[in-house]
Amino acid sequence: MSIQIALAGNPNCGKTTLFNALTGSAQFVGNWPGVTVEKKEGRLKGRKDVVIMDLPGIYSLSPYTLEEVVARNYLVQERPDVILNIVDGTNLERNLYLTTQLTELGIPVVVAVNMMDVVRRRGDKIHTEQLSKILGCEVCEISALKGTGVMEAAQKAVDIAQSGEKTIPMHTFSGSVEHALAHIEERLLHSVPEEQQRWYAIKIFERDTKVREQLKLSEADLQHVEADIAACEKELDDNAESIITGERYDWIASIIRGCCQKKNRGVLSTSDKIDKIVTNRILALPIFVVVMALVYAIAMGGWSVSIGTRATDWANDVLFGEWVPGWFDAILSALHVAEGSWLYGLIQDGIVAGVGAVLGFVPQMLVLFFLLCILEDVGYMARIAFIMDRIFRRFGLSGKSFIPMLVATGCGVPGIMASRTIEQDRDRKMTIMTTGFIPCGAKMPIIGLFAGALFGNSAWVATSAYFIGVAAVIISGVMLKKFKVFAGEPAPFVMELPAYHIPSGSNVLRGTWERGWSFIKRAGTVILLSSIVLWFLQGYGIVDGSLQAVADNNDSLLAVIGNAVAWIFYPLGWVGDMAWKATVATFTGLIAKEEVVNFFGIAYHYAGDVDLMEDSSPIWALVAADFTALSAYSFMIFNLLCAPCFAAMGAIKREMNNPKWTLAAIGYMCGFAYAAALMVYQIGGLITGTVAFSIWTVVALALFALLVFLVVRPYRESGQLRDIPVRV
Amino acid sequence: MMPLTLAGLGEERYIKQIGGRTETRQFLESMGFVTGTMVKVLSEMSGNVIVQVKDTRVAISKEMALKIMV
Repeated sequence: MSIQIALAGNPNCGKTTLFNALTGSAQFVGNWPGVTVEKKEGRLKGRKDVVIMDLPGIYSLSPYTLEEVVARNYLVQERPDVILNIVDGTNLERNLYLTTQLTELGIPVVVAVNMMDVVRRRGDKIHTEQLSKILGCEVCEISALKGTGVMEAAQKAVDIAQSGEKTIPMHTFSGSVEHALAHIEERLLHSVPEEQQRWYAIKIFERDTKVREQLKLSEADLQHVEADIAACEKELDDNAESIITGERYDWIASIIRGCCQKKNRGVLSTSDKIDKIVTNRILALPIFVVVMALVYAIAMGGWSVSIGTRATDWANDVLFGEWVPGWFDAILSALHVAEGSWLYGLIQDGIVAGVGAVLGFVPQMLVLFFLLCILEDVGYMARIAFIMDRIFRRFGLSGKSFIPMLVATGCGVPGIMASRTIEQDRDRKMTIMTTGFIPCGAKMPIIGLFAGALFGNSAWVATSAYFIGVAAVIISGVMLKKFKVFAGEPAPFVMELPAYHIPSGSNVLRGTWERGWSFIKRAGTVILLSSIVLWFLQGYGIVDGSLQAVADNNDSLLAVIGNAVAWIFYPLGWVGDMAWKATVATFTGLIAKEEVVNFFGIAYHYAGDVDLMEDSSPIWALVAADFTALSAYSFMIFNLLCAPCFAAMGAIKREMNNPKWTLAAIGYMCGFAYAAALMVYQIGGLITGTVAFSIWTVVALALFALLVFLVVRPYRESGQLRDIPVRV
Repeated sequence: MMPLTLAGLGEERYIKQIGGRTETRQFLESMGFVTGTMVKVLSEMSGNVIVQVKDTRVAISKEMALKIMV
C-alpha cells in the first residue's frame, strides 16, 4: 500500500520548492502566484511507496479560482492519507486561515512552517510546540530553499499516515454557530463518515452550492437547516459565510498572540523600499519601459548586444543552414540513398528544412525566456501586471495579458502558453485570441520582402506592421468584450505581490529550459508532420494521369489546391498570375510564417545562393512585377493577422482545451485578417483610383461601418455579472 | 467610512466593510481582507492600489478597492 502525501498551502509559500526537495525532481518554481495550475505527482526520495502530490497554491477551500477547484476536489474526493500543509512563517496569520480549514477535513495534517531561516534572521520567534498544541496537529520547522528539516517533515507525515490518527480541529465557533452545525450534522450528515462531518457541516452552513449539490440534499432538509442558519445570521448580524471567516481569523489572531513574537513591527522591509520606487506613480512607467527595452534589445534587437538575434542567426545560417544538412548528407550517402531520390528529398527538403526553420528560433527564445525568468524570479513580473492593468483594462484585457503579448513579439507559441497564468477564463480566452496578432519574429521576413519589393525598403512598413498588430489587439479587445460570451469587465485584479529576492541560478535555468523544451517538443511533432505533408504536396503532382514527382511546382498538388481556392482571395486583390502563388504562399505560411518568403523563392524559380529569409532582394523585381503596392499591402496584412502557424494553433488548442473555442479563435483571426485586407485593398483602391468600384467595395465599406459600430457602440453590462451593491 | 482608493498613502486604516459579489468577497476574505483588519496603502496608480494586509502586499484593481470600505 502506498502512502499519499498532499502538499497544500498558499500560493508562493514554497510548495514547489519543497516538492523538488522531497522528490528530487526539477519543477520550475515561479515567483509569481499561480505557477502550479495542475497537480503534480512525484515519489519521496528513497521511498518508492510514498507518493507526493503538489497541489496548486490556494488561499482557502472555497472554489473561487481554478486552482482552488483543483485542490479542493482532490482533497475532498480523493482524500490523501495525509496533508503536509506548508505555512509561510513570515506571514503566519494569513497562512493559518487555510490550515484551520484543512484540519476540518478529517485527514491527518502536518504543518510545516517554512522560511524559518528568514523568520530567525528577522529576530522573530515562533513557538512551534505551543502552536502544535493549539492547532491539534504536528508542527515542524523547515526551510525548503535550504533543505533543512524537509525530510523530517515528510517522515512525520508518513508516520502519522501509518498510525491512522486523524487530526481533530481544535478551534470552535461561537455558541449559536456550533448549535447550528450540530443540527446540520445530526439531520443531514449521518451517512457521511464521522471525521468528515464537520467539514461538510461548515460548508452547508456557508451555503456552499457545490457541496450542497454533491450531497443531493432534499428541499425539506435544506429548509430545515436554513432556519438555523438564518437565526444565527440574525443573532450575529452578518451573513453565514462571513461569520465563519471572521471567527476563523479571530481565532488565528488569538493563537498568534500566544505563539509568536515579532521584533521589528512597522519597519519598512527591503521589498517595500524597492516597491516605493518601482511602483511609484510617476516612476513606474519609465522604469517599466526601460526594463522592457533592455529585454527586447538583448533578446530580439538587431544590435551587437542582441545575443538572442545573433544566436538565432547562427542557428539558422550555420547550424541548420550547413551543419545539419551536411550531417544528413553524410548519413544518407553512407546508406546509399541517392541525392535525387524521394527519400532524400523527404528528409532534406521536407523534414530538415521544415523543422530546422522552426528550431532555428530556439536560441533566441531561450535568451528571451531566460530574461523573463529572471524578471519573474526577482518578483518584478507581478509588478508589471499591476502597472499594465489599468491600460489593458481599457480594451477588455487584464494586466496579466501583457506578458503573453510581449513574448509573442518573439514567437506566438510561448506567448500563447504564457497566457496560462491568467486565472479568469474570460480574460485568458481573450488573450489567447488576440496574442497571435502581434507580429512575431517569423513574420519579419514577409515584411522585409514587401517593404523591399514595393515600398523602397521603407522602415515605415515594419513600423506599420507593429502598429497594425497592436491595433488589431485593441480593436478586437474593445469589440469582443461587447459580445455576450465575453460580457463583463475583466476580472477584478487581485494579486499577491511576492517579496523581491535575488534570482536563483538553477531555478532560472530550469524555468528557461522547461519553456524552451515544450517549444522544441512541438517542433518535433506538429511541425514535423506538417513539413512532411507540405513537402509532398509541393513536390508531387498529377501529370499525364498519374501521381509523380514534379520538377515544376506549377504542376504540384499544392498549385492545384491553390488554384482551386484562389478565388476566395480575389476580393483582396490577389488576382492574375500571382493569385495562386499568393494563395499557396499563405498556406505554406501555416508551417512557419517565414516559409511564405521561401515559397516565393521557389515559385519564382530563384536558384541563387542567398538565403531569401535573410535577404530577399534578388526576387524583389519579380515580386514587384506581380504585385501592386495595394495588393502587396493587403497580402501582408492578411498574412500578419490570419491563422498563425501550426505550432501556434497547437498551442491555442492546448490552452483553450476545447475544440469549439480553438476553432472560434482561429476562425476569428482569419475572419479579422480577411476583413482588414479587404478594407485596405478596396477602400484604398477607391481612394487612389486603382481599383474599380464593385460589389466588393460595397462589402468593404459595409464592413468598415460595422467595425466602427462595434468599436464605438456603447457597452452594456449584462445583468448577471453585475456585482451586488455594497452592503451598508 | 470611505473606499480604500481614497485612503492616503501610508495611512493605517481598519477595514469596516467589504461589498461585492459573494465569491469576490470570499476571495478577498481568504486573502486576509476581513472586517477589522488593519490595511495600509503602499502605492497607488490611477486607482489600482498596492496594500499591505496581514504581512503581505496585495495588488488590487480600482473596482475591487472601491468595495473595501475603511
